[in-house]
Amino acid sequence: MAYLKSLRPIFAFVAIYFGIALFIENQYYQLMITLVLVWAIFGLSWNMLSGYTGLISFGHAAFFGIGAYTTALGQIHFGLSPWVLLPIATAFGALAGLLVGIPTFRLRGHYFALSMLAYPLAMLYVFEWLGYQEVTLPLVRDHPALYMQFSDHRIYTLLALAMLVVVVMITRWVERTRFGISLISIKQNEAAAEAAGINTLAWKLKAIAVSGAIAGAAGAFYAVVLLVVTPVSVFGMLVSAQALTVAMFGGVGTVWGPIIGAAFLIPVGEILHAEFGTFIPGIQGVIYGLAIIIIIIVAPEGVFWKARDILANRRAARARREAADPAAMPCPEKSEPSPFPAAEADAAEEAVAEHTVSDEIVLDVRGVSKSFGGLKAVDNVSFEVRKGMILGIIGPNGAGKTTLFNLLNGFLKPDEGDVVVNGRSLVGRKPHVLAAAGVGRTFQVMRPFARMSVEENVRVGAFVRARNGEHADALAREAVEKAGLSEIAGRRASELTTKELRLMELARALAGQPQLLLLDETLAGLGHGEVGDVVAVVRRLVREGMTIVIIEHTMQAMVRLVDRFVVLDHGAVLTTGSPEEVTKDPKVIEAYLGKKWMAHAES
Amino acid sequence: MPGLTRRTLATAAALMPLLGFQMTTSASAQDKVQVGLLAPLSGLYARPGQVMKMGAEMAVKDINDEGGIACMNGAKLDLVVLDSGDTTEKAKNAAQRMVAEHPDLVAATGSYLSSFTLAVTEVTERADLPMLTLSYSDLITERGFHNVFQTSATAGSQASIALPTIMNLAESASGKRPKTVAIITDNTAASVASVKAMKEGLLDKVGLDLVFEEVFTPPLVDASSLVQQLRARRPDLLFFLPTVISDAKLILEKMNEFNVKIPTISFGIAIAEPDVLNTISPDLINGVMSAVANWGAKGQEDLIARLKKEYGEPWMTQNAISTYGDMWVIKAALEDACKPDRKAVAEALRKMDGGPSRYYPGGELKFDEMGRRVGAGLTIIQWQDGVPVTVFPDDLALAKPIWPGN
Repeated sequence: MAYLKSLRPIFAFVAIYFGIALFIENQYYQLMITLVLVWAIFGLSWNMLSGYTGLISFGHAAFFGIGAYTTALGQIHFGLSPWVLLPIATAFGALAGLLVGIPTFRLRGHYFALSMLAYPLAMLYVFEWLGYQEVTLPLVRDHPALYMQFSDHRIYTLLALAMLVVVVMITRWVERTRFGISLISIKQNEAAAEAAGINTLAWKLKAIAVSGAIAGAAGAFYAVVLLVVTPVSVFGMLVSAQALTVAMFGGVGTVWGPIIGAAFLIPVGEILHAEFGTFIPGIQGVIYGLAIIIIIIVAPEGVFWKARDILANRRAARARREAADPAAMPCPEKSEPSPFPAAEADAAEEAVAEHTVSDEIVLDVRGVSKSFGGLKAVDNVSFEVRKGMILGIIGPNGAGKTTLFNLLNGFLKPDEGDVVVNGRSLVGRKPHVLAAAGVGRTFQVMRPFARMSVEENVRVGAFVRARNGEHADALAREAVEKAGLSEIAGRRASELTTKELRLMELARALAGQPQLLLLDETLAGLGHGEVGDVVAVVRRLVREGMTIVIIEHTMQAMVRLVDRFVVLDHGAVLTTGSPEEVTKDPKVIEAYLGKKWMAHAES
Repeated sequence: MPGLTRRTLATAAALMPLLGFQMTTSASAQDKVQVGLLAPLSGLYARPGQVMKMGAEMAVKDINDEGGIACMNGAKLDLVVLDSGDTTEKAKNAAQRMVAEHPDLVAATGSYLSSFTLAVTEVTERADLPMLTLSYSDLITERGFHNVFQTSATAGSQASIALPTIMNLAESASGKRPKTVAIITDNTAASVASVKAMKEGLLDKVGLDLVFEEVFTPPLVDASSLVQQLRARRPDLLFFLPTVISDAKLILEKMNEFNVKIPTISFGIAIAEPDVLNTISPDLINGVMSAVANWGAKGQEDLIARLKKEYGEPWMTQNAISTYGDMWVIKAALEDACKPDRKAVAEALRKMDGGPSRYYPGGELKFDEMGRRVGAGLTIIQWQDGVPVTVFPDDLALAKPIWPGN
């Protein structure tokens, strides 16, 4: 239902657009409004991959061109109708997407963007070499409609609208399912996505296949409309740029972006061309370029997001005005730093006593080692984590804590040793496999999905367990509650404080219902009172049966939190033991604080 | 009857204020006949497009100065210019705009690049608007269209026309038929296609033996070894097919340095465009020839001088003279059709039998059933003292060919 509701504006748009199209007699304007739709569809194709995953493609013309040439050559050589060739072109586009994706997804960032650039350029030369410098769709004089040739150009507009609707429905569907969530989380932080149980490569391949399919269909239809296909007109740099321009102008990562972009840029470019091209040749390019520059400066994320932000701010301002009513002055937030840290600590000790550690071993680390070149970052580390326990891994900076952590959750593969989770050896497995096996993690550097609400952020983590969207919603709500964020569940992540972000990160990991939670410096950078709040949440989780491994380099808060410490120094285990034992151990004090603290320890 | 006429007139007079606008437009349409030029006036190909516009403007002026369309009470031609831009899509848009917004057009010419012409004629064909073109692609007239007329020899036939023409020129200039040839070409699609056609029979047909062939990838970094090999083989002719002018420069410089004096023949107008002189000095390129589809020729000296004076163009390329000629062909068709109607003009073009061609080399002013000009030939031009001039065939030559070694 919500899905259909989300489509309502688009249906309204289509109805209005079609209404306008019906009244346009002039074939030139007909062509223009058809091309707007073709470029909007192509922009949506780009958005499907680059808008959601953040992997910028400069090479979407490759798929577009394949679609266009499929249609042209299929009709020339096999006498097939575009009605048949359009789905074939779509399939070829998807296939091309996979073929491009498999090698290219090894690359990230700029490297990905640049290598994508190579595909259409290569295709351009291949098609020139094949002797297809210029191909035209043969004119069919008998039964032209069977070959998608209509003298009434409004039919083209109608067909393009139908394609747009299908593509928008696909995009909306992707946005609302695990698919879209996975892509967006890849965009925000691929590592975090993997840790949240998302098989990033598989989703990226699906995205590029869908994107390639849409681009192939757009290219096929473009060939039908333009009737002439040349390598430059379908594989050229400008074609790939067109997809980027309409999407970035209108707004990246939203179904409306490419539509707004195409509906504005294509007619403006064409009108400028028609009005000025003959008198001051080239001026249209200058004006067009300036318009784009201005928009990019004013609204760097695109028109759609800018408009949305303006609306949101206005709404917020109104809300604030209403709230500023002196009588209804709200009292300050209750999570203010507590002035009595000591009292808090007492409560903490009580809490530790409450939870029970069973004998069941959840995580068994056996002699793991990892070297980077000559440096042994982790050297033969072994320890056990029993169910219901809080294990603290501490050590000074550079002790190998984070490396060890990454060995545990699959981001790095140990050179030696074994990691056994619930009796199953999972050493060297990918992070999303570990996540599925019940190991959740948080990150030291928080990477929230800034535009999404707290609950939406948390929902990303739920998909590792969730059967469907509703289940994910339920899991997310539960996790938000456990992290104590229910009151701010609707707030955008960009408005949160560091503490709230940390808790949100925790909730995201919890949404996947892990049995074992790995927390990477969750307390770092928090004020004293804030530490107390986060510690309280961690304690509550343990009381409810969670097992937690927490890394910190500050010992302070940890002493009262954990059941057992593993102290690392220079990659090796220095000692293990209860907080009392460890804090009194001279080796630890020396490693941690230096020799001058020895005196304190002895006194 | 007279009463009826009077009543009609009275009614018309009464309606005049209401229909004012329409009346004036249809009235002006009667003494003016709209003809179109759809060419790239902006973007990458703006320069050749501008030159086409010059040719069209000169022709329209000349036709109107000579009294316009005699058969239509001296109706004047009115040139409608549209910018095809620099992409196939823009060209198609412009064509759609042309037929939608200028319903009174009777014929048009354009659009420089074959791919633009292909897209444009898809529109004009459906609108029954006759379209003349100087583009080469065989495909333009292979689609079974009835309203497109190609004045140049097609790409497929150019190489087969060029080689015998070159052989005749060589024989008449040097006194003996060349026997051996070297080919230096880059690996761009058009060059490769031409060389392929030559090697697959055309060279044999004219009795030329290929003694050296070098294919390079632009940009060329060093031409020394290439030119040394060329010198060692001593061919009678060199076929020279660079696409990038800087590559041409490098090779010509080396040939000059090594004192290699072999008659050098290129294909197409790229090596004779005015901007070549921005890169290559007139001395260096002196003597280089090219086989082209059209060029300013004998009998057009006044036109060449006017182009220079009025527009500052140093010489008349194919783009200017062919477009100039197209307007005269349209005029001739209008005289035959005797009404400003595009279908009638198209029919007149299909039936045209205008005798020997005046503004295109070789053949007649007559189109075959595909729309190709019957007997379309080529001219050979040669760089002489900083200007590429027509040197062959003799009846069009503005200068005698210089033949190295003579």
